[in-house]
Amino acid sequence: MSLAAKVERRRFLQWVGQWSVVAAIATQFGGVVRAFVPRVLYEPSKKFKLGKPAQYPEGVTFVPTHRLFVIRERNQFHVISARCTHLGCTVEWKAEGRQFDCPCHGSKFRSNGERFAGPAPRPLPWYPLSMSGDGFLVVDSAKTVPSTYRFAVV
Amino acid sequence: MRSQLTRLWRWITWTWSPASEREASTAIVENLWLHWFPAKIDEKSFGWRYSLWLGVIAAFLFLILVVTGVLLMFFYVPSTERAYWSIKDIDYVVGFGWLLRNQHRWAAHLMVLVVFLHMLRVFFTGAYRAQRAANWLVGLALLLLTLLLSFTGYLLPWDQLAFWAVTVGTNIAKEVPVVGESVRFVLLGGTEIGQSALVRFYVLHVVALPGVVLLLFAYHMWRVRRDGGLAVTDPAATPLPEASSTAPVGSKTYSLFGVTPGTSLETRAARPQADEAAAPSSPHLLRRLILVFLAVFTVTIILSLISGAPLEEAANPSLTPNPAKAPWYFLWLQELLAVTTIRAGQLTISGGLVGGIIIPGVLLTAAAAWPFLDRSPLRTIGKWLPPERRVQNAVFALIALVIAVLVLIGVLMRGPYWQLYWPWQAWPQLPTRL
Repeated sequence: MSLAAKVERRRFLQWVGQWSVVAAIATQFGGVVRAFVPRVLYEPSKKFKLGKPAQYPEGVTFVPTHRLFVIRERNQFHVISARCTHLGCTVEWKAEGRQFDCPCHGSKFRSNGERFAGPAPRPLPWYPLSMSGDGFLVVDSAKTVPSTYRFAVV
Repeated sequence: MRSQLTRLWRWITWTWSPASEREASTAIVENLWLHWFPAKIDEKSFGWRYSLWLGVIAAFLFLILVVTGVLLMFFYVPSTERAYWSIKDIDYVVGFGWLLRNQHRWAAHLMVLVVFLHMLRVFFTGAYRAQRAANWLVGLALLLLTLLLSFTGYLLPWDQLAFWAVTVGTNIAKEVPVVGESVRFVLLGGTEIGQSALVRFYVLHVVALPGVVLLLFAYHMWRVRRDGGLAVTDPAATPLPEASSTAPVGSKTYSLFGVTPGTSLETRAARPQADEAAAPSSPHLLRRLILVFLAVFTVTIILSLISGAPLEEAANPSLTPNPAKAPWYFLWLQELLAVTTIRAGQLTISGGLVGGIIIPGVLLTAAAAWPFLDRSPLRTIGKWLPPERRVQNAVFALIALVIAVLVLIGVLMRGPYWQLYWPWQAWPQLPTRL
């Protein structure tokens, strides 16, 4: 074997050695970064039970534990999120103006969640309802429905 | 009598005394506490009026924050159930805990203010030109870190202010196109604000961010010296007289190579001919540093005695305070967030993205790029508000003024539902609880 080939090989091995150190450190670093992305979320389910339909009076009821409004029109129900679509503050129902007002940056929404004033970029989302076997309303806040949605309870 | 006492004291504390100025300089360089000062400092750098000592004040505020912060760590519990109550304990149970917390809080507020004023000073004296551009960038990073430290700090009590600040802050992060959702997910350690979010912000506040500040602070200081000290002593402002021959010049170097003509790296910016205008840093600099520290410490203590750090009600996710205001230094951003939602036909860009990310991002980028775009003459370095820089100083002052006015509007004129009220106008009565 010629001397040139030997030098080539030595350089190659040097290169491999140096870059393996870099790769090893990068892999470790990647592992550390991965640790900060949780694998399991110990958070309440996005699908949860509310009360029984009879608990909700006619009109708008705020449910603080889930930050949403249950709206009843006779036997028709729908649910609107109370989280402002601007930056997530909890909006308040103003019965006199039939509107939702956000205390943080002054967004205002009509009773169907449509924005009419303030910085909020989107209407308040509506969530689909269903009925559990034991007669409770169930909300799936991972999904949204259009504002024509009504859930009828017989 | 006094001189005899002094001699006695010297005899007790020193086994040696400098026989010459050179030996005195050596003593400073060799000393553990003093070696990070130059042996001698140009008297121009000492002036109160040029630098207003704002950088030094910021550094001392940081020192107070580190010491009071470490002490507070003994009593604070970073858990969503106990954080609020441990702060209550610090305020009402721990002996002088209230003083620690108040001083920590006042030093933090003052640090935001002083770091900002320091930036204004550096701009108005053109002290970011040429080789000092690097330190200007480091300074911008330190300003950002100061704000991040404040943000991560005021949410630790887990009161209403804390909870809604994290809500709004992380929702701004969510507005970043494409990566926003993931950024928020990693910041919070989940999709909801809870225990993992609190621990993340806690570790950022007590370890990660102060660590980065310390590193950058060390570099900031080292760089000030390497760049030739304060800009007021810059040779570009007071040019060296033309060397008339190749005879050795009095260049300021510590090596034998000092006999060669020209200037060495060390003399790039110093004024070697002005050695007679320089004073030994000990005691002259040291004495002033101690004075400034005592003043800063006293001011924070007095403010802590006059006014305490607020603690709102315990965090309540279902009830947003009305109005929900950020601390004063973020109110200009809150003001922008509330008014910058852009609507054009079907397209809506949230104020969270425009006011929370794009506008501050543009300001920051402009500030970072400015040293490389500035074409004003170099002889204006280290001079307050020179006429040659009138336009850019005016623009910079205007931006600072707009920020200050927005902060004042936020503090004084925003009422429930973020409506505008005059400061003397009463707010309508609102229920504070559900």
